Amino acid sequence: MLNYTFDWSIITSGQYFDWLLAGLITTLKLSAISIVLAFLLGLLIAVMRMAHSKPVRWFALAYLEFFRNTPLLVQIFFWYFGSYKILPVFINDWLNKTGFEFAAAAIALTIYTSAFIAEDIRSGVLSIPKEQMEAARSAGFSYLRSMQYIILPQAVRITIPPLVNQFLNLAKNSSLAMTIGVMEMTYQARQVESYSFKGFEAFTAATVVYLVLSIVITALVNLYNEKVLNVHKAA
Amino acid sequence: MKKLVTLCMMVALATITVKAAQAGDTLADVKKKGVLTVGCKDSLPPFGYIDEKSRQIVGYDIDFVNAIAKKLGVKVELKPVTSASRMPQLQEGHIDIIAATMTKNAERAKVIDFSHAYFLTGQKFITKKGSVNSLKDLEGKRIGTAKGSTSEKNVAAAIPSATILSFDDYPQAFLALMQGKVSAVTTDEAILAGILAKAPTKGQFEIPNIQISDEPYGLGMRKGDTNFVNFVNKTILEMEKSGEAKAIFEKWFGPTTQFHLERTFKISADK
Repeated sequence: MLNYTFDWSIITSGQYFDWLLAGLITTLKLSAISIVLAFLLGLLIAVMRMAHSKPVRWFALAYLEFFRNTPLLVQIFFWYFGSYKILPVFINDWLNKTGFEFAAAAIALTIYTSAFIAEDIRSGVLSIPKEQMEAARSAGFSYLRSMQYIILPQAVRITIPPLVNQFLNLAKNSSLAMTIGVMEMTYQARQVESYSFKGFEAFTAATVVYLVLSIVITALVNLYNEKVLNVHKAA
Repeated sequence: MKKLVTLCMMVALATITVKAAQAGDTLADVKKKGVLTVGCKDSLPPFGYIDEKSRQIVGYDIDFVNAIAKKLGVKVELKPVTSASRMPQLQEGHIDIIAATMTKNAERAKVIDFSHAYFLTGQKFITKKGSVNSLKDLEGKRIGTAKGSTSEKNVAAAIPSATILSFDDYPQAFLALMQGKVSAVTTDEAILAGILAKAPTKGQFEIPNIQISDEPYGLGMRKGDTNFVNFVNKTILEMEKSGEAKAIFEKWFGPTTQFHLERTFKISADK
């Protein structure tokens, strides 16, 4: 290790640069798609978790516990390899021809993260004193309208910091997709390493990319917080 | 604060010095430790895999390092590695020697030192029966292999139009083949034979006679570790002479096994 000489030129141009760039784009796509879907699904599960109907609540609880408490890697393998046994043949054939790797990774990331997001949203809603709901109801708002105008706007603000955490986790967890052959950032960094043996350069590049990606996500959510929700940092 | 920084730097420096000493002379170091730490495969019959009864890692690769350790008078500690992890593990001093179906090639030889070849095979494909007769049949198809292996590069060069899917290791690549996610899995014939022998539905698969490269396996050691390399080379040449190397081959690949491979090579000093 001592006589290792750094050679940054190999990753700033040429074939290896193209690989890393392709990996970056895949990571961005995978993260963005999964973040949006995980947020929507998480919202749905959170609402189901607080629903009046017992079966709906139980379903949401079972969903949460199952997907929160099993490793993401296992879930990725499940969707990629395991779904083969459940799906009908013609769907499998179609998936195999088009390549199921990306979709399987996105499904796994979405479902896994949605379970955490649902709990964050629910705890945000629960932190709003129940008197507010009662006051809204007595002022003539329906249950849904009270949620829409009184409870959720406050709950979302409270939920934003933990949500950012979930988004960041998702972006970094997306690197596990390489185990099923999704050519994302970490996959490409490893590829560069195995072709050039310049692992330090490749993984440094990958580290910087994840760092920047995380900072950008945090900044975007903070911006949304300030501009759209009018929450100021001091508050 | 300044003190803390100085302290950190001293610790870092000390660590580096220790590492440098390690890289210098593995032979002396291993003798002193009494243990030879080996990076091997643990799911690749018959090279390195976990025996169902003993729960120990056994195989062709393992018998070779066992013989080397015996000559050294030390114990063997086996550490499972993957194709991608084995070289960094060696360079960082986590293992002393790689015995993990590793192909000798010029690119790798720039970074580590190899022993003489102790096994010779060639890269082929495993496919669904009757689906592939020549390389042409694989053009534009999806082909599975393992990350960080030479197979990955060879197949990309041989069939540029194919999509190469690299999995963590060969069992997953083969599972993808069984499920139709890839049209073929490619790697060295001896490894494919091992995969095929273990497959639950082996009748459905075959290894067509298409070879895209020669794959001589070498034991990997740290660059410039001349004493150790010489010792290992001497040992395996002696094993060839005494017939021990041949016996190991027959034990894992010969007619009494499910592979029925012919030994078409002899261990000899190359270059």
